[in-house]
Amino acid sequence: MSTEGSASKPIVNEMKPFLRASAFALVTALSCGQAFAGKADDTVHTAFTKELESVDFYYQSAREGTILSRHIWDGLVYRDPKTGEYSGNLAESWTWVDDMTLEFKLREGITFHNGEPFDADDVVHTITFITDPENKVVTPSYSNWMKSAEKIDQYTVRIHTERPFPAALEYLSSLIPIYPNEYYAEGGPTAMGLKPVGTGPYMVESLEPGKHYVLKKFDGYKGPKTKAEIGTIDIRTIPDINTQMAELLSGGIDFVWGVPTDQAEQLTTMDQFVVANEATMRIGYITMDAAARGGENPFTKKEVRQAVGYAIDRQAIVDNLLKGSSEVVHAACYPTQFGCTDDVMKYEYNPEKAKELLAAAGYPNGFETEFYAYRNRPYAEAMMAYLADVGIKANLNYLKYSALRDLQKNGGGGFGFLTWGSNSLGDMSAITSLFFEMGDQDFARDEEVSNWLKEGDTSVKDEVRLEAYGKALKKIAEEAYWIPTFSYNANYVFTKEVDYKPTPDEIVRFFDMKWN
Amino acid sequence: MMTSSAPTTESIVGMTPGARMRRRVFGHYGLMFGLAVLILIIAAAIFAPLLTSHDPYAQSLFMRMKPPFWMNGTNPDHILGTDHLGRDYLARLLYGARISLMIGLLTALVSGVIGTTLGVAAGYFGGKVDLAVTFLINVRLAMPVVLVALAVVALFGGSLQVVILVLGFLLWDRFAVVMRSSVMQIRDLEYVNAARAIGCSTTRILLSEIMPNVVNNLIVIMTLEMAHAILLEAALSFLGLGVQPPMPSWGLMISEGKEMLLFQPWMITIPGVALFMLVLAINLMGDGLRDVTAPEAKG
Repeated sequence: MSTEGSASKPIVNEMKPFLRASAFALVTALSCGQAFAGKADDTVHTAFTKELESVDFYYQSAREGTILSRHIWDGLVYRDPKTGEYSGNLAESWTWVDDMTLEFKLREGITFHNGEPFDADDVVHTITFITDPENKVVTPSYSNWMKSAEKIDQYTVRIHTERPFPAALEYLSSLIPIYPNEYYAEGGPTAMGLKPVGTGPYMVESLEPGKHYVLKKFDGYKGPKTKAEIGTIDIRTIPDINTQMAELLSGGIDFVWGVPTDQAEQLTTMDQFVVANEATMRIGYITMDAAARGGENPFTKKEVRQAVGYAIDRQAIVDNLLKGSSEVVHAACYPTQFGCTDDVMKYEYNPEKAKELLAAAGYPNGFETEFYAYRNRPYAEAMMAYLADVGIKANLNYLKYSALRDLQKNGGGGFGFLTWGSNSLGDMSAITSLFFEMGDQDFARDEEVSNWLKEGDTSVKDEVRLEAYGKALKKIAEEAYWIPTFSYNANYVFTKEVDYKPTPDEIVRFFDMKWN
Repeated sequence: MMTSSAPTTESIVGMTPGARMRRRVFGHYGLMFGLAVLILIIAAAIFAPLLTSHDPYAQSLFMRMKPPFWMNGTNPDHILGTDHLGRDYLARLLYGARISLMIGLLTALVSGVIGTTLGVAAGYFGGKVDLAVTFLINVRLAMPVVLVALAVVALFGGSLQVVILVLGFLLWDRFAVVMRSSVMQIRDLEYVNAARAIGCSTTRILLSEIMPNVVNNLIVIMTLEMAHAILLEAALSFLGLGVQPPMPSWGLMISEGKEMLLFQPWMITIPGVALFMLVLAINLMGDGLRDVTAPEAKG
């Protein structure tokens, strides 16, 4: 299957089918000889699981792209991943002129990797480019809250928003990297994808699209991110997790993340690796077709939806399958996001109550239904077994995310286990508003909820937002439109030579990495 | 009792055909081995509830991935350990044998009926019928089985019935080719002509003159296709497009164990060995059957 990413190391690839013993033998053999990775040549070798469409941040939608963007470019604003506080990045300071105008004072003396100096023209050009529908950026919602950018003087810029947008700083810090205007005007996304140029702590030395990326420390970096210590970051695309493990054991890579819990547990027993577990902003949820978008179905009854909540032992799934820093989640958002509150109706594991509710809804013997999922099949299977215990026979339909999303756009796939990572945004609008404001994937179609959420999205007053969001979350839980399941966690595995502390936003920061 | 000097029936008329057959069958080690293993697997599948008290669907999350009996840290309750959801591996293996055998058998039946009908018709009637059937065979041979199976299953969703039907409709070509040529060889033999001369109906000729003389080929192909179907089902299930969880299927078990290949290789080895043994047994049996029923072996 798909192991071509490791083509450059065929020997290791051949190793794959062999057992742990032979992997150990290889490790010993290699560690006696000359190590070809690591501290000695000041290079961290790592792997991407996904084949990235483009390095140009605006023309891809993968986590890998977000990670690269944080190294190559900077936003106007910086959010400290530890404290969550905003500080200047390319901008020195900012003020809200009114509800819909944000003025930035830009930092002087910053240059791009190609020597082009940074000023207001770069900001205006980038924002004008990405907000123009003609240019077809992959995720328009990242930028379409902005109407335009206006240059006041060489180091002052104003951003005009389409509507009052309280999450503006959050978006600017995470999703709007600033490009050099002259370079981008000339080459556009093609040039940016092949030879990216930014202001970030790392510059791209070479890249083979979708396959191999080599980042070099940028000595001219002046921003608030840590100045990089490690000279070179060498990233190869290795789609198969077992191949990644084999490479790790053989010393071909020094750092991987997203290692499944079971494998990570095995690796903790080995001396040469550090296994770090950190929460991520991804949560799982069970969605149900309460609005009958896919036709009449049992889930239009509130009792049935609540029964699903009581039927599944989410704590047991967290304790035995996800482990690490995962937790059961009760509200339809990630707990640390702005506006998210745990003060909602909770569904503890209670199969008897689930059966009673099903009987009350007119299904004393349960019913049969289709069940959709796109990742973590074991979790979906565990849920199905719990549902079967109370009489709901679920037939698994395991699809690709894009296929399931398209199905949901047309009203299908109404009952399923899905997840959402909020693009690591610390604001509830990145998840709850996305799914409960009558959009494609809204199977609740609850006007009241939708209106509350819209009120929260567009107010700039924190108290108003908190109250409106709180009401929406309470009703979602009460009506059991979603049964949020649990938060995810990520395992980072690296050799003892590397010193790294992962952050809960699941963004790997190589500039924070050091040698031990 | 006979004395050693007296001539026996055997020394006068030679072995009876039955005795000769028995000697050929019992003297063929491949056939015997295949048959024995196959009977063992079939018995295990049929008597699965007696062999294990575990429910193959019962999950127990805190008993996940307990290793089998020859490793450390085993649980005496689960001889072959438990899978990633804490389900008993032995129970899943035994009940999985039912799925594999059922798919093999039903697929061979469906494709056998289609292929034999087409093949016999083409071989016996010849002419335009033959042209049409040969065309169909060519069309079928031009389609890559796995690719078509993947596409169809992706379109209609994977389930036991879909897999059986898809494979049944895809694996009939060998039946048709072999039946066509065997029937062609005998359709003009004397006894067929004799039957025709005394006015037997076509149905009767086909059923009682032609079929009994080609049935040995049919059985051999059937075993081969059965093994083929079992392997294909495992491949489809491995890719997530065959039998859907939580149904126990060996292919699915291999696919579920794949994640743990490096650290818990037994999760793949156990269903892998089972699959290997089943397919080997069926193939040995098919080979053996061909050897003992082939005319040149009848002596």
